[in-house]
Amino acid sequence: MGLQQTPSATSGGAKPSVAARIGIGGPVGSGKTALIEALIPVLQRRGVDFAVVTNDLVTKEDAERLRRSGLIDPARVSAVEAGACPHTVIREDPTLNIAAGDELEAKFPGLELILFESGGDNLASTFSLDLVDWWIFVIDVAGGDDIPRKRGPGVIKCDLLVVNKVDLAPHVGVVLDSMLTEAERVRGGRPVIATNARSGLGIEAVADAISSAVLFQA
Amino acid sequence: MLRIDHVLGSRLDPDISEGLHRLEHRGGVDVVSIPVADLARRRLLATTRGGQELAIALPRNEKLFDGAVLFIDDERAIVVHAGTERWLRLAPRSIADAIELGYQAGNLHWRVRFEGEALFVAMEGRAEDYMARLDELIGSRRIGVAIVDQESGEDSDKRTSAATHDHAHPHSHGHDH
Repeated sequence: MGLQQTPSATSGGAKPSVAARIGIGGPVGSGKTALIEALIPVLQRRGVDFAVVTNDLVTKEDAERLRRSGLIDPARVSAVEAGACPHTVIREDPTLNIAAGDELEAKFPGLELILFESGGDNLASTFSLDLVDWWIFVIDVAGGDDIPRKRGPGVIKCDLLVVNKVDLAPHVGVVLDSMLTEAERVRGGRPVIATNARSGLGIEAVADAISSAVLFQA
Repeated sequence: MLRIDHVLGSRLDPDISEGLHRLEHRGGVDVVSIPVADLARRRLLATTRGGQELAIALPRNEKLFDGAVLFIDDERAIVVHAGTERWLRLAPRSIADAIELGYQAGNLHWRVRFEGEALFVAMEGRAEDYMARLDELIGSRRIGVAIVDQESGEDSDKRTSAATHDHAHPHSHGHDH
């Protein structure tokens, strides 16, 4: 039928006019910002045109940290102040974040990807699919190996679960393999990636998952 | 892989339905099944029943829906079929039970809809996980529970009751999602 040879159904193979949007959520201190810091050079090396929106409670702390990092053009980092409930602005009423994403797309017309980092929240935190196409939930081994077992909606529903700070496992009495196995079990086999954002362990795999899920690059 | 950048319209649109009807006679209509929970995604990978891989990347002002036509030419069309959505139908026995149920559903941020005197909770996971959160209300029979499979689509409401099967007590249905 010739469809396999057709690169695009409607636009003759041109890039879609909108950037993919992904969420990165998780508890306070699990390493969301560190994961983004580790992803930035990997995505840059892969030639992905991207920007970041951070969410903080009442400051722009995470945005400032990324802007000062020297890793990314500070203009490509936008901050949303979430107020008291971080999940509200990524789930119940994500309009502030949607607007921040739209502004970045207007400012950088070639943008392919926007990463939305949620404010640190609890295990119930999830993203609205009106805001993002796909989302990651970050937990860390120092938070305890019982986190997957608690079946928090963030852990269960996310498209990719990242278990960060795996280097700390022996120091906090966590058997990493068991924690990862349990995480896969409660997620019904959906993806789980172990990372150490500081050393770069697992970061390429996270970038691969993003590329494949929303950038459609194998 | 076929890239889909726009929804072309609904299978019911007059300017599409005629061509679709013609293709149906020739077996040229391919269907891509999308779980209800994924309909809100603007970007996703999917494979049609005919084996065509799709990379769907819609503008943010467009959404997939049951009957959305993603591709059509002289030989073939691709139409979205939304999967069945499963709901927990919770019927409180008294106003006090209704208040408590309403509090619990809100506190758990469940996606709900209302129908008469029942609260419907959209199940995005196993039924037992939802019922476990209401253990006391269900165990003491202060709310009645039924699982409702609802087809998505324009005439979905008509199909809801036909798929209802009542359960007098909570138990596992063995459905993993």
